[in-house]
Amino acid sequence: MTSIRKFLILAIVATLILFNFIAALRGYQSSMFEAETLFDNQLLDLSRLVSNLDESRINGEFRLGNNVAFQIWDNDQLVAASFHAPQDLITPLLGGFEYSNFEGYRWRTYTRHDDVRNRWVIVAERTDLRFILAENVVLESISPILVGIPIVGLVIWVVVSFGLSPLTQLSSQLGRKKVGDLSPIELRQTPSELEPVLQSVNGFINRLSLALEREKRFSADAAHELRTPISALKIQLHNLQQELGTKSDAFVDLQQGVERMQHLVEQLLSLYRSTPDQFAAECRSVDLHEITQDVVARYYPMIEAREQSLELEGERCLISGDRFALETLITNLLSNAGKYTHAGGNIRLKISSAESGAQLVVEDDGPGISNEERHRVFDRFYRTGNSGSKATGCGLGLTIVKHIADLHGAHVTVEDSSFGRGVAFRVAFPGAGA
Amino acid sequence: MFLTSVILVLQEILEAALLLSMLLLVTRLIESGNKGLIANRTWIWSALACGVLLAWSYALYMPVIAEWFDYVGQEVTNAACQLLTIVLLLVFIYGIKNQVELPGSAHTLVASFCLIVVVALAIMREGSEIVLYLRGIMGQPEAVSPVLLGAALATGIGVSCGILLYYLLIALKRHIALRVALVLLAFFAGNMASQAVLLLTQADWAPYTSQVWDSSALLPEYSVAGQLLYALVGYEATPSLLQLAAYVGAFLMIAASPVFRSAWFRQDLV
Amino acid sequence: MRKFSFMMMSLLAGTVSAAVPEFELHIRDHLFFPATLDVPAETKIRLMILNEDDTPEEFESYELNREKVIPGKSRTVIFIGPLKPGEYPFFGEFYPKTAQGKVIAR
Repeated sequence: MTSIRKFLILAIVATLILFNFIAALRGYQSSMFEAETLFDNQLLDLSRLVSNLDESRINGEFRLGNNVAFQIWDNDQLVAASFHAPQDLITPLLGGFEYSNFEGYRWRTYTRHDDVRNRWVIVAERTDLRFILAENVVLESISPILVGIPIVGLVIWVVVSFGLSPLTQLSSQLGRKKVGDLSPIELRQTPSELEPVLQSVNGFINRLSLALEREKRFSADAAHELRTPISALKIQLHNLQQELGTKSDAFVDLQQGVERMQHLVEQLLSLYRSTPDQFAAECRSVDLHEITQDVVARYYPMIEAREQSLELEGERCLISGDRFALETLITNLLSNAGKYTHAGGNIRLKISSAESGAQLVVEDDGPGISNEERHRVFDRFYRTGNSGSKATGCGLGLTIVKHIADLHGAHVTVEDSSFGRGVAFRVAFPGAGA
Repeated sequence: MFLTSVILVLQEILEAALLLSMLLLVTRLIESGNKGLIANRTWIWSALACGVLLAWSYALYMPVIAEWFDYVGQEVTNAACQLLTIVLLLVFIYGIKNQVELPGSAHTLVASFCLIVVVALAIMREGSEIVLYLRGIMGQPEAVSPVLLGAALATGIGVSCGILLYYLLIALKRHIALRVALVLLAFFAGNMASQAVLLLTQADWAPYTSQVWDSSALLPEYSVAGQLLYALVGYEATPSLLQLAAYVGAFLMIAASPVFRSAWFRQDLV
Repeated sequence: MRKFSFMMMSLLAGTVSAAVPEFELHIRDHLFFPATLDVPAETKIRLMILNEDDTPEEFESYELNREKVIPGKSRTVIFIGPLKPGEYPFFGEFYPKTAQGKVIAR
């Protein structure tokens, strides 16, 4: 599409040039006409002067300057002439103004009949010289119009750019908006033309953020409300087991189903518990290594049960964050690794701190995740194709990891594991400067 | 000297600027319905560069060219250029299709080639006169500044007219703008044909034919309106019969093209 | 090529070089010599223009419908007419203040 700025600048400058230059041209023409009349009047005066001269005192020696010449004719007889006038008639004796070519120049001539002495007087002035003289004067007055146009063009460029700056601001702010950024758009100055646009855009953003907020709250409330009946269910299951005394397969399936439901509800709760506002308030300096140790200690029985080996590398590493959220992040990554790695497999946790920030890597030698799936694993309720039926999960674990990492300004990537097979999750926290 | 320079340069610049804005308009209007015909506008710069180069060389070799064919080489060369312009314009106009063309396809290349040569030839014919005039003036130091001032003024007026015509037409509804631009292009082709005939008559290569009308008293060719009409529709105060026939012929050839007919009768092509 | 042009001429014009009268016009110091050119009416005329200046000139006449650039120190030919009796002013477009003249057809 056409650019508004280009259109405005070009159209305004073109209109200005057109009208100014045509005005300059008209000015030139009328000034030149005036100058011509002025010169003609001078020539007329000169003819009166010449006709009053005493011809005996002229004798071809009379010098008037290069640009004028005269002749005095008395009955086909050249009585007197200026020094560079030719000997023959320079223009027909018709009386009045005329043009004539002689001596290699074009002349403006004026012929008058001197009734007193009964003779003809011709005065002539070189057109080229008088034209140059007149033109120089006239051009002096119109050349500023031409010289001024580039300056005017520059000023228009600046003015148009300034005038369009709210529009540019609006479009760049809209373009820069990150996913999930639902803060209203603010301009330094809102022109009245943009007021309705800004109002409706901000209205849209506001309604969208309210809708999202409602959705979150609904999920969180629902999860919270579900907790009590599930706990009651578990107790009732426990009581049922006491009464029956035996553990049938159907009973174990039921128990596992209830466990899975409880897990899902817990995950849903932790996903929506940490909103950015709540998080900012709870942020303090914590030791990533110490938290990891705690999580590993708590989770170790499960690792042991599957005869998997677990290594923890690294040392004390302070970052700014929320302890509970970070525990959830590490637990989710670790339980993922434990779940998807076969019995007797290897899991390694590495913590390193560098100038660019702390990093946590959780890797295993399990089946791994194909490249096509890597960008989808953080989607809500997404489960990898080879997760199989044995692994319990709801597909929210990595979504929560991503969410918590985002809250900490950290970046999660899926990489190849250094075991040679399997997958590695790298969480890179921002450096102290960030 | 100033006014002479203004008139001379304006006559030439105006014609080239109006032609360029008409071609830009046609390509742009067709582009919006037919993506990628002339996807980018690089052809303008090629055309301008070629035109300036051609104008300079033509002015340089003018003394030699002028002596061809028993001193009528200039008329014959100019007429040949004008006829070539009409042919290329016809190739371009008849080549506009309803299909989506990929940039770089043979058809796009032919279309760009036609546009480049048409504009370059216009600049060559018009520009060579300016080059000759300015080169002559450079020998007279006292005339240089008024002449350059006049040339700048005329360039400003000519280019501004082209820009304003372009924006004026672009502001119209698309099918109306396309109609106007195509009719103006047809007028341009008619003008080229009529000029070519006039030049050939001047060189005695084409026969003398009687004058059809004389509107010089009503609207003299040298008046501002006359000059503007000449640049826009090829106005001639005293055209000959053969000139009129050539004008109408070239106009009808453009008007018979599919794109012209569909733009005028609102068919589906554009 | 000259033969071809001759053929074209005879073909189109139908006048096999019926002795077109020739006239000469000189340009000197941005002036036309002669400034008034008497030519016969109702006849085609071959006008030879000789530019003796170093600078180019453009012969232009709205009344004759003719326009042609003449480079410096060179000559050129323009065919005019057949003309109705009357006056046909012409001028040098590059130096119009001085280069003025007229063709008188009688």
